[in-house]
This record gives sequence, C-alpha cells and structure tokens, in this order.
Amino acid sequence: MGRSVASLTSQWGGPPSATSPWGGRWGGPPGPRPTPTSATDSSPWGGPPGPRPTPTSATDSSPWGGPPGPRPTPSSATTALDFALIGHQESWQAAADVLSVLRGPDLPPLPDDEIKDILPWIPPRTVCHVDVGSITGAKARGLYIDSFIPPDRLDAASTHDNLARVRAAATCAIKAGAKIVSLGGFSSILIEGNFDQLPERYASVFTTGNTLTVGFIVQGIHKMCALEGRDLRQSTLLIVGATGDVGSGCARCLAPLVKRVLLSARNVERLRKLAAELETDGIQVEIATDTQRFSTQADLVICAASLASPSLLLGGRIAPDAIVCDAGYPKNLSPSAEMPGARIFFGGLGQIARGLTFAPDFHGILNRHPFPDVVHGCLLEGMALALERRFEPFSQGRGSITPDRVDEIQAIAARHGIRLAPLYNAAGPVEDGVACQTELSSVREGPGPNKPGMGATQGSDA
Amino acid sequence: MEPVMGINCSPGIGCISSSAPIWQDVLAQAVTGELLAAMNYSSLSEICEDPAEVADALEHARNERGHAARFAAEGRKIGVDVPNNVDAKHWKRLREAFMRCIGERDFIGCLIVQEIMLESFAVASYARVGKVAPGSLGRTFASIAAEEEEHVDHAMAILKTERALDAQRFDDKVHRLHLDVMTTLAKMLAKECKDGHCEVCHDTCVKPSLSEVSLSAAELRGVSLRQYLKTLDTLGLPGEVTLAWVAQLPV
Repeated sequence: MGRSVASLTSQWGGPPSATSPWGGRWGGPPGPRPTPTSATDSSPWGGPPGPRPTPTSATDSSPWGGPPGPRPTPSSATTALDFALIGHQESWQAAADVLSVLRGPDLPPLPDDEIKDILPWIPPRTVCHVDVGSITGAKARGLYIDSFIPPDRLDAASTHDNLARVRAAATCAIKAGAKIVSLGGFSSILIEGNFDQLPERYASVFTTGNTLTVGFIVQGIHKMCALEGRDLRQSTLLIVGATGDVGSGCARCLAPLVKRVLLSARNVERLRKLAAELETDGIQVEIATDTQRFSTQADLVICAASLASPSLLLGGRIAPDAIVCDAGYPKNLSPSAEMPGARIFFGGLGQIARGLTFAPDFHGILNRHPFPDVVHGCLLEGMALALERRFEPFSQGRGSITPDRVDEIQAIAARHGIRLAPLYNAAGPVEDGVACQTELSSVREGPGPNKPGMGATQGSDA
Repeated sequence: MEPVMGINCSPGIGCISSSAPIWQDVLAQAVTGELLAAMNYSSLSEICEDPAEVADALEHARNERGHAARFAAEGRKIGVDVPNNVDAKHWKRLREAFMRCIGERDFIGCLIVQEIMLESFAVASYARVGKVAPGSLGRTFASIAAEEEEHVDHAMAILKTERALDAQRFDDKVHRLHLDVMTTLAKMLAKECKDGHCEVCHDTCVKPSLSEVSLSAAELRGVSLRQYLKTLDTLGLPGEVTLAWVAQLPV
C-alpha cells in the first residue's frame, strides 16, 4: 500500500523533528523525549487510558497482565450491548472444547499438554456474542467474556490472581459497553465479598446473580420434595456454607418452612449473626463450625460451599434417603458409595424457554448441561434483567438476599420464560420422563457432558 | 547494585559457567532478532519520503544494532561468543514477510510486522529472561525490553489512527500479516522445534535446557502470545477475533 508520509505525520499530531530522535513518526511532537505513551495513553495490558497502576505488562507478575486500570470507557462501536456474562471453564475438557471451536473444523484439536500450557496466558476477553429471547418477544444482546481462570486454579491459593482476572474481564465488559454484567460461577463467589475491587463502573452495572441462583435452589428443593413425597414442614434442613451469599439467602427463604434448621460454616461470627437474624423471626437455629457435625441429622441438605470435593464437607456420612442439593461451584457431588441412597440434584440452574444463541456457535460447549438452554442462575439473572430493561445491580455484596428479593427476581425471570431447569445430577435426570439433550454429545467429538472422561459434570455457562 | 556473589554466580541459578552455553543460545536468538530489526528499519527508511522520517527509521536501526551489540557484550562477559544468523530459516521467513511489505511500500504493514508482532515477542521474552538471568545479563535484557516497549507504544498511536480510518480494512491487513508472520513466530516459539534445527543455536536445540536457567519454551511462548493479544486489544481489534487467530496458530 502506498502511503504518504506527510499524511501519516499529520494524523498522529506534531510535525516531525529533525533534531530529536523522538520526534517524527514514532515519537510524537518535537522537543524533549516524552514520557512513553504506554504510561499515559494506551496500555498493552488492554486497559483504559490513564496512569498504569503497576509494572508493565511484560514484566508484571500476573500471567494475564495485572489489574485493569481505573477508568475503563465503553466502546462507541458496541453501544447496543445489553449484557455481558463473565465466566470461565471449570474443566480442562471444557477448555479444550472451547479452543476446538475457535480452531475450527479444519485444524486438529490441540493436545492436552498444549492446552494446559497456553490457556493460563490468555488474557480475559470476549469469546462470543450471546443473544437471548423472551416469551414476550423481547430480545437482548450480550457477550460472553471468559476470564480464562485455569480449571485447576479455583483454590484459595489462587484467589488473588483470580480476582485480578475477574477485574480484567470486568474491564472488557465495561469497554464493550455492557449495560449489565453478570458474574458467573467462581467469578460470582470471588466478587460477592469484594465488589469494591471491580473497576470503577460507568454505565455498566454488575450483579453477582446470586438472588436468582437462590430462587432456583429453593424451587428445586420444593420440586424435589414433591417428587419424593416429602413434607417440607416435617424436614430437618442443613445448609453447608450457610454464611455465604447463596447459603444465607437459602436460609432466609427455607428456614421458616421447615421443622428444624441446622447451619454450618467455618466462620463462627457470621454463623452467630445469621442465627440471630433468623431467631428474631422466631426460628430456632443450631449452628456448627464443624461442617460434618450435622451430616447424619438432616433429611434436606444444601451444599452451598464451593470446594473441590463437597462430599468431604459431609464427612461421607449422610442420612439415608436425604435430599441433597449441590448448590456449590463447581458442582461435583455425585451419587456414590459415600452417600448411598442420597437423592442428589444440581441446584441453581434455570432454563430459557426461547433459548439463546451463540456466535460463533458454542451451544453445548459453554452451557454443558444435559438439557438445552440451561444456564446457571447467576448468569440468567443478568439476562432476565436485560430482557426486563432493568439495568440495576440487583445482587451485590454478601448476605442481603431476602425472600422478597428472590420472589421479585423469580417473577422477572418467569415473565421472560426463564424457569427452573429440569433437575439432574451427574448420573442424569432425576425426574422421570424428562429426556436429556443427547444430540449434543452425539455430534461432538469425545465424551459429552456427564459421561465418563469429563473432568467435571458441567462447565461454565454463558 | 551488583549481587554479592558477582555476576557469574547468582543464588538459585548457580555458577553461570555451567549455564553459559544456554545463555549463549538465548543471546544468539536475541542478537539475531535485533540485527533483523535493524535491517528492517533500514529497509523502512528507503520507503519513507520525509527526511525526518528517514532519520527516524535510521535512528531506530542504529538503536537495534546497539541492542545487538549490548547482547553480544553480555556474552563476552560470561565467556561465550554470541553467534547470529539472520538467514536462519525462521528469521529469514520473517525478514521476507517484512520485505514484502517494503515491496508494496506498505508503511503500515511494516509497522504491524515489526512493532506489533516481532516486538511483542521481543518485549515479552526479553522481560521474562530479564527476570531470571543473573547480574548484568538480566539487567540488560530488562532494559532492552523496556526500550523496545517504547517502540511499540510509539507505533500504536500511528496504527490506532490508521485503524480509525477503516477498521475492517485494517483488521484484514493485520490478519493477513498474522497468518504469515505469526505462523512463523509460533513455530519458533513451539515447545519443540519440529522442523529441525533452527540454525541459530550453536549445538542442539536449547529449548529442553531452558529449565536449567528457570525458563521454559512454553512460558516464553505464553508471555509472547499474551503480549501480542494485549497489543491487538489496545489497537481495538475484537478480542474474540484475535483469540481465534491465536488459537489457530501451530503448536
């Protein structure tokens, strides 16, 4: 391409200097050598204009480039964007499937070792566009942004790094002009107590999505009790991880409805505070920091703690025929010899009646469930609010989810055809007569969701 | 301040004499890259029309030769001769890609190849090496990484302006050059050299030995691709598009 030097010079401002090596095309205006533009203008870590907070992208210690800058600005090109969903892959198989779609059908899949070497270096970024429809005819447009938290780094030791990844993903959402941003999976857990660590927000609002997650957990408990012929009013409810945002929300919704309430969590002060709150409503509560203490006493269990193996929380002991809701993240409770007779289901999942579309097509890759159009409640909350045109931070912080708020978000979701997903667990559907989405696993290479060989029973949703 | 043990011995790395052959090959790649960059800037000066632009390009060429000289001097400090080979197969392909832009008098294409692609690799890998290399060797890598990053930053303003004129055309050009240049760079950065000897390492491939100096080929590839993606982000290219580009590179 032929190019006029003079026109280029005028485009970036400042005449070339014959005296300064920093003048001219590469150096901006003549005169003293300027401060490098990276520090004040653009930044190679993808952040916004403004002072760069920490060492340069090439030298910082975090693999994705450090924290985002303080003042992201939305892109004018994407002003029609309603929502953004921030998520990550929770198994290497899920990550492999995402990369396989990105590579396209003509290239062989990347070997596992290469995926593990490459993925941690990918900066948070948009992976695909997501459109969602309502039964009212409304539509909302969004993005799925992956924080690329490596699936094997969901542990506490990686919290600092993961928070920075979520912040960087949040910056992507803000720059893209998303009106509302839902934090999916582990992102929500990381941020619920750290909202102040999100970038300063302009037009974008953030929601953890936890209120709708609680709604679907509670609905799931009701449905499972009905399926099993249990009387909720005669039940003993145990919530493991009761002081978290989701756990405490479940406690407020379900405690008034059951016979006996058992709460366990590691933080005794938070436990006492929650118990005191419930007791002001006349509900007697028993608490324990030993998460295994109540395992055998409950016939309804909600595991709202997020650990690599929540079965450890229950100590491998559980009342025969107990109903167990895996409400943690990742969902990894499974019917096994550890919990013989337990009726396990994955809680907090909803289904979109009018479906959702991905571009490129990540259907069944980003939402790896045995039923179509099933998504985690935390992400659905942002989509429901976008369809409702209520761009507000519906769920923020920890411990503020009330039954009224749960009712409100459930009503909004239902208005747009977003309802409780069919109940299932790692072994398949728990409801009779509900067919799985078998076509997904039959068209994809390798094992499908919930089949042997999958690192996890479900991946992050979009 | 110099380390207490002197430049030849650094805690955690051990006496540098044992690792000198590894640093020799690392330096050889760096010197070759700098000399190639110098050649590229010299070529670029030939398509510039404004005398000041010509001077700038030649100044950059001099700077890159200065970097090569500093790396070579670091080699001498640890008792090794640092070879270079701009005709080595991968480097030669990179030079040819740049010269195609010169042949088309495509100034923007030249900047994309040199500043966005080759410098991303240089900035990120030098910075990483700078963290682990002992004494003045590490400081030199870190210092040159910072200087190279300034090049990139300065070029970004021009490229952003160019993209603002016609984003689609600009992105198409970047993609075309990506397929050419980054495919070659990806092969260079692969964990193993699958196409035979790179013609720069003085003996067998240095990559398997990098762990002895707290480096790895996978990490150098990771930081380089990360830097490249971030640079493209800063230019404004859609993240989902550039992610697919990188995912499709050879490994």
